[in-house]
Amino acid sequence: MAPDTAALSEGLLAALARRRATGAVVDAAGAAAAAAARAAEWGVERALLADDPVLGDLGVGGRLAGDGCEVLVWPDGRGRGWRELLGLEGPELTMGVTVPRLGVAERGTLVLETGPGHGRSIDVVSMYHLAVLPASRLRATLAEALVETYARDGRAPSAVSLVSAPSRTSDIEKISTLGAHGAKGLHVLVVEDR
Amino acid sequence: MSGRRPVVYSDTTAPLRERTREALADDALAANLRAAGASWGAARTRISAENPFAEMRARAREIRRGDIGDLPELLARLEERVTAAGGVVTRAADADAACRYITDLAAARGATLVAKSKSMATEEIKLNEAIEESGLRVVETDLGEWILQLAGQHPSHIVAPAVHLNKEQVRQVLMAESGWELPTDREALVAHARTRLREVFASADIGISGVNFGVAETGTICVVENEGNARLVTALPRIHVAVMGMERVVRDWDEAAHILQILPMAAIGDDAAGYVNLITGPRAPGEADGPEELHLVILDGGRSALLGTDLEEALDCIRCGACLYSCPMWRSVGGQAYGSPYSGPIGSVLTPLLEGMEGERSSELPFMSSLCGSCHDACPVGIPLHDLLVRVRARVTTTAHRRDRARFRLWSRAWSNPAAYRLSVAMARIGLRLAGRRGWARRLPGPGAEWTSQRDLPTRWPPTPPR
Ligand code: SF4
Repeated sequence: MAPDTAALSEGLLAALARRRATGAVVDAAGAAAAAAARAAEWGVERALLADDPVLGDLGVGGRLAGDGCEVLVWPDGRGRGWRELLGLEGPELTMGVTVPRLGVAERGTLVLETGPGHGRSIDVVSMYHLAVLPASRLRATLAEALVETYARDGRAPSAVSLVSAPSRTSDIEKISTLGAHGAKGLHVLVVEDR
Repeated sequence: MSGRRPVVYSDTTAPLRERTREALADDALAANLRAAGASWGAARTRISAENPFAEMRARAREIRRGDIGDLPELLARLEERVTAAGGVVTRAADADAACRYITDLAAARGATLVAKSKSMATEEIKLNEAIEESGLRVVETDLGEWILQLAGQHPSHIVAPAVHLNKEQVRQVLMAESGWELPTDREALVAHARTRLREVFASADIGISGVNFGVAETGTICVVENEGNARLVTALPRIHVAVMGMERVVRDWDEAAHILQILPMAAIGDDAAGYVNLITGPRAPGEADGPEELHLVILDGGRSALLGTDLEEALDCIRCGACLYSCPMWRSVGGQAYGSPYSGPIGSVLTPLLEGMEGERSSELPFMSSLCGSCHDACPVGIPLHDLLVRVRARVTTTAHRRDRARFRLWSRAWSNPAAYRLSVAMARIGLRLAGRRGWARRLPGPGAEWTSQRDLPTRWPPTPPR
């Protein structure tokens, strides 16, 4: 990993850790195993994956399925209906797997861009959120990342979600509690480029 | 404007003096407010030590001053770009127009259930009441807002609406809603609310959100949150209606990035919000979630009248709530006593401006401040709130104020005549000696009664030390 990339991923993970997210830098060969290990730790019974070539290349879906986890892929997975995706029916311990378009080192933020293969609700309907971020997508500042996201020709993405923490609320006595509505746990795998 | 819904709550019929007295006598409230203020203060100190807050604030102020200076142009651009992205924009002159647009839309689409995420603008226009009057069910999904909705109360803080309640009070409210016996730990209460509100997300026809700001450059709506409910509200239902105050626009993504960073620092003492939802139009072709229709309601509600006046800076506000926590008045009585959706220093400025100067609350709120200036220090966009409070005070006139003014006019006339001045001082000295004991007057008759109801008055100069 180039030294500047290493510094960026270190910055991202340190900032996220301050908000009680977790993460690690892994090489491409170890990414699927790291994803499966995290799923096992969370006790995940079903995973909802973005349809993204990055996940296919790393073999994440295959590995999870091999471990006995039910694997749904967006947008087909959407066919299950909201009650099931929200965990009101079927397994409650679910995991959304996303591939952020960018990661921001300063202050620690993931930039998730919606699209036909990447539903905007994948991470928040699930109990846990696993983000798989290729290291080449790291940027230093939020301004840089937002300008890049919106500077392209043609239509802006219909939805972009900035995610910087697990779902949390301080509405009861101002003490931060996780899992209010979105993912109760957030784990980021920064994948070194091959 | 006739038929305009008042900003203030209809249920706060008791006068301000009574409401504050009640709040001051409430020990549980005092403890809850003390804890909230302390926790905000600690987080804020930590985050300011790690970040160059003063510089960021100067830049934020520059951004907001510039945006408000170009407001008509930026709004026009925002409207054009939202429309180009497939959204429907409507401008509402007042609360009634905004509510009517939304209830008409709901009726036209045959909606029955509305899921809401936190929005001060919808509090301001009393949207929930309008929706319920039209026969629909509306559910607040921000945990704090939901608790208040169930308890039949109004938010006491812009960012932390239920901050005046403690865990046991919350538990009682949630048990009353579900009829289930609930454990006492916070995690379990949050998990319970999560499940209950998922039922709402699964079946709501319309999602209503606020807007932290719109980015004119691309026609993008920003909704900032920490729980994830705003994403669910804006992603699952068929229709998304976003309600924004007309002043909440920034120019471009460079400005947006800066405001997105300073807002959570000021609001929750963290250097990033958990979630920021950036929405440009309804779902695009081929997408399997996101609303099919996006409506943006831009609310004037008295704001445009402030443009170009010496009160314009009130429009710079990004609703972070920092001035509330910093205010010794708010920390003593909480937000409920203000009787307006906007409490604390910014509430005391905004309520009379948006509602008009006439009402009881409007004429009193600007005086509920010691003008200590802590609000200005706390404000991430550097609004001189204490100056604005003084300017709003100057605009407020009531019978009591007119009487005061007449009295002061008489006084100033007397004192500009040397003989009359000397006579009045001599009489006052004799009067005070008679009224006082051991150098202090504890209770004065007539016009002095108000003063001595709160404090003693020395009758000699220099005063003798009180015993
Ligand atoms: S006036 Fe300033 S401190 Fe108060 S809510 Fe608005 S931006 Fe925050």
